Amino acid sequence: MILTRNRLGLFRFVLYGHAVLVMAFLLLPIIFIALLSFGSSRWMMFPPPEWTLRWYEELATDPRWAEAMWLSLRLALIVTVLSVLLGGAAAFALVRGRFAGRRVLKAFFVAPMIVPVVIVAIALYAFSLKVGLNGTFAGFVAGHLIIAVPFSVICISNSLRGFDPALEQAAAICGAGRLETLRRVTIPSIAPGLLAAAVFSFLASWDEVVVSIFMASPQLQTLPVRMWTSLRSDLTPVIAAASTLLVLASLILMALLGLSATRAGRSKMQ
Amino acid sequence: MKMDTPLPAVRLMDLHKRYGDFAAVDGVSLDVRKGEFLTFLGSSGSGKTTTLNMIAGFDDPTSGQILLNGGAVTGLPPQKRNIGMVFQRYTLFPHMTVAENVGFPLSVRRLSKDEVNSRVLDALRLVQLDRFAGRRPSQLSGGQQQRVALARALVYEPQLLLMDEPLGALDKKLREEIQIEIRKLHHRLGVTILYVTHDQEEALRMSDRIAVFEHGRIVQVGSGEDLYHCPATAFVAGFIGNSNFLRGSVAERRSDAAIVKLGENSAVCVPVDAVGGVGSEVRIMIRPEEIKLSHALSDAAGAVIPVTVRERIFLGDTISYEVATRDGQSVLVREDRARNQGRCVGPGTDAYMHIAINQNRVYKKY
Ligand SMILES: Nc1ncnc2c1ncn2[C@@H]1O[C@H](COP(=O)(O)OP(=O)(O)O)[C@@H](O)[C@H]1O
Ligand SMILES: [Mg+2]
Repeated sequence: MILTRNRLGLFRFVLYGHAVLVMAFLLLPIIFIALLSFGSSRWMMFPPPEWTLRWYEELATDPRWAEAMWLSLRLALIVTVLSVLLGGAAAFALVRGRFAGRRVLKAFFVAPMIVPVVIVAIALYAFSLKVGLNGTFAGFVAGHLIIAVPFSVICISNSLRGFDPALEQAAAICGAGRLETLRRVTIPSIAPGLLAAAVFSFLASWDEVVVSIFMASPQLQTLPVRMWTSLRSDLTPVIAAASTLLVLASLILMALLGLSATRAGRSKMQ
Repeated sequence: MKMDTPLPAVRLMDLHKRYGDFAAVDGVSLDVRKGEFLTFLGSSGSGKTTTLNMIAGFDDPTSGQILLNGGAVTGLPPQKRNIGMVFQRYTLFPHMTVAENVGFPLSVRRLSKDEVNSRVLDALRLVQLDRFAGRRPSQLSGGQQQRVALARALVYEPQLLLMDEPLGALDKKLREEIQIEIRKLHHRLGVTILYVTHDQEEALRMSDRIAVFEHGRIVQVGSGEDLYHCPATAFVAGFIGNSNFLRGSVAERRSDAAIVKLGENSAVCVPVDAVGGVGSEVRIMIRPEEIKLSHALSDAAGAVIPVTVRERIFLGDTISYEVATRDGQSVLVREDRARNQGRCVGPGTDAYMHIAINQNRVYKKY
């Protein structure tokens, strides 16, 4: 390799410095928010004069925040399940199917990732006003699915492409019917892709804000929407606490994904 | 009174498989006896895999019938055919251990845990891999993986074992080792085996009978010796063993025999129904080890053709010559070193090639 560390000489310290700066740029705002969420100042003074868990308590007890959190969680879980099911079915058709227009269909499934979210949101808003989905739980589910399904289609397609269908033939000749083959051979073999699809779908819904703002009603607000509205009305450190929780949930899920990827990588290497 | 013949393990009746207007399998009929080791031999694309896949139930024939133990299996899915199969590609389930892989067909059949465990162990002992029961497929070499696949295919004691170039991805030495292992297993278990290969040596080494495939058809079925000594077509002759084809033309047709001219001043007698009309071209196949070279004309039966020795290669137990006839045809000759001793036919010298024409190896065209 040309770019081995040892050959770089002193220049490598420039690289180290650069890496540290980039990381600081990415991480500092998050760390800053996390610190503020534990600070006692109502006006989010920095550095915090004292430490407290008050804002977390308020987050959990204030019904408006608690409801928003509960809604976000339920929504993210349902969207995750539906996204993996629908995206998985689509991925099977796109990878295994031999029909005309397969490429067009694939582009179609991935399109919500490319089209600006705000356009999707406005279109969805106009449409759901017509059919009365606005401000309903089902409307949220539908909106978030549009954002989440492309992740599932991509993740599951990729792992399906790496899966040799001859394994299914082998299972069949061993005596396994279609369902048993699916359950015991196909799904375990593409499990890393399914997990990635689930994590990305969850996160896509969990921190979705644009579609949610259009879809929300005063009674039905997800956590990010609640943060957005309270940011404009009453700036409070509860927002910092909520942000910290959002980030924490994302971190845990990404760590989970990383762990399964290294495990899968290791068992492949051996 | 008709003799009571046992049912064939597999009967293929005029099997066809078409893709569009291309016939991948074009009228295959064959009986495979119970307990037989029968090999499909043919070059790549000749329809071996397609035929095997139809027997396994992965593909439906366009027309024709498949009988297993006398019963038609049309429309029966692979999982209901009770057939074992080893594929060319490695098809162990990557997320299961070796033992779980071998136990898979048994757990599908809802056998008890104890029974599964003991039969898995037996099967792994059969292929000498019981020490690897806890490993993952990715921790095994290619040869070991195929042996596990073999154990998985045998563990439920299927009536029929299909093997589609199972050793294709292995190196020569390992291949020969596992060939012998499979052969021994066949003797021991008495299972009917349908084996696919494009390697004639592998086919000769392992099979009771060989079915030679060409363009989606079986051109000849027989033991290795049958095919070697009496190849039905020039294709079979060229496919199995080393061979020379001497070109000649029909000079005369009589009622009992035809005279074929080889070169300018040699002629041989061949069966008249093996050749076309006067002037038409004929190929005569001669194995390299059936040719004798000498400086002197002998009066042995057969034909004598003057040649020039181009090359002499010492190969230990045999000596191989490349000689050319007067009309420029190149011929490979192989002589035993023991037989050859004392006579030295060196390169560049003129010699006579003595051949005995085998009446069964005269072909109208190549
Ligand atoms: N699904 C298919 N569609 C079209 N052609 C096929 C298909 N499967 C096999 N063929 C063709 O059928 C012929 C025989 O294939 P195959 O049975 O795999 O040959 P072999 O196993 O003897 O190498 C080949 O020419 C191959 O291209
Ligand atoms: Mg093949």
